[in-house]
Amino acid sequence: VSLDVQLVLLLWGTLVGLDLVSVPQMMIARPIVAGTVAGLILGDLNTGLRLGVVLELFQLDVLPVGAARYPEYGPATVAAVSAAHLSAGGLGVGLGAVVGLFIGMLGGVSLHLLRRLNARAVHAAAPRLELGDTGALIRLHAASIARDGTRAALVTATGLALAWGTRVLGATLTPRGLTVLAAAAAGAALAAGTIGTLRLVGRGPGLRWFAVGLGGGVLAAWLR
Amino acid sequence: MTRRRRRRFGTSLLRLFTVQGSWNYERMMGVGVGVAEEPLLRDLPGGVDGEAYRAAVARGTRFFNAHPYLAGLAVGAAARAEHEGVPPAQIERLRTALSGPLGSFGDRLVWAGWLPLLSALALAGVALGAGWMAVAGFLVLYNLGHVLLRSWALRAGWRHGARVAVALQTPVLQRASRLVGPAMAVASGFAFPLLARYLGEPLAPPGRIILAAVTGAGLLLLWWRPGHLTGVRLGLGVVAAALVAAWLWP
Repeated sequence: VSLDVQLVLLLWGTLVGLDLVSVPQMMIARPIVAGTVAGLILGDLNTGLRLGVVLELFQLDVLPVGAARYPEYGPATVAAVSAAHLSAGGLGVGLGAVVGLFIGMLGGVSLHLLRRLNARAVHAAAPRLELGDTGALIRLHAASIARDGTRAALVTATGLALAWGTRVLGATLTPRGLTVLAAAAAGAALAAGTIGTLRLVGRGPGLRWFAVGLGGGVLAAWLR
Repeated sequence: MTRRRRRRFGTSLLRLFTVQGSWNYERMMGVGVGVAEEPLLRDLPGGVDGEAYRAAVARGTRFFNAHPYLAGLAVGAAARAEHEGVPPAQIERLRTALSGPLGSFGDRLVWAGWLPLLSALALAGVALGAGWMAVAGFLVLYNLGHVLLRSWALRAGWRHGARVAVALQTPVLQRASRLVGPAMAVASGFAFPLLARYLGEPLAPPGRIILAAVTGAGLLLLWWRPGHLTGVRLGLGVVAAALVAAWLWP
């Protein structure tokens, strides 16, 4: 993968990281979107879609309410697709998931640190804010967004570096080992996505609707 | 509405897309709300150099939290209340009173409804072979609802002012809130069997057995230890174990 492509991935990961909380929350941060576009950038749409699906399932386990702390899967998915593409393509889904889950955790920690840094900046600017100083308000807000952009770029860069290093790991695994890893990652993703969804659906009438959909899905999968 | 006020509404709406840009543990999205409200306060008596403007800007930046897409309701309502000369203490109470309902209603409507519904449809679309078109469809449909909701919230907040609570009783919104839950449940149920097939397809038969076993065991573990075991922890544990297995039995 050329340096140009790595830079485009870094830019995409940064935009994806900004989208999650800061601006504009249009859901390019969802793994299914981040992964598909990363796959297109790498010229490997299939791997992008597959890892997008795996990490989207993990994302379904996350409900981003209030001050909750959660993994950040957007930049992680970009790194995951890069890792899978560099390692073994279609069979590299498991290796991609290893990178994606680890960077997802790291992204979550970085978001917590960012919020603490923002709180410190707000605390320092509080006297000017209480005077209704518009300049101070806009500067504070813009600096916070810039801080988030820097954070997202750092997380993506770490992920892309890890993806590069994962090639070595991939070379030590046989095709059978890669299959085991891919199957395990997909299984964990299906379990996490199902439980996350059932938590939203609840035990009331929603569960009956879920069962109706499940029946239709089984039929559609069988007919395909 | 005058042309100048329309322009300020536009600026306020654009700024609402960054409402969580300075999210922090001290004022949560308060600073972002202040930034979005500021253009609507510029024509308060005395203009941008006036005491009323400065006091209103200061109030706008204080603690606030809600669903980001519905924050516009609070922005519009507080700005309108400032223009109507509502006492400052009452405006503060209005913001406090809006925080909870806007948070819970938005979470239910968007985070637990609209978003997982479209995510499930996109996942099912990919599993059925629609590829990037399913993803593009997700982005377009989701953002249609997203932009409409943000825009409606700001306008409704301004229209109702201090009586903004009635805006949440809008029939369309209530109906959407009732329908989106069951729709999400059906779509999600439909997607999972297709996804299991999609993820299992490229694997050899032993790989499919591992996939089924890990899914079953993962479901049991996550069901048994809610709050202790999260999806990401399960995932990391499982892939670490799989890596070790892959090295030991190549």
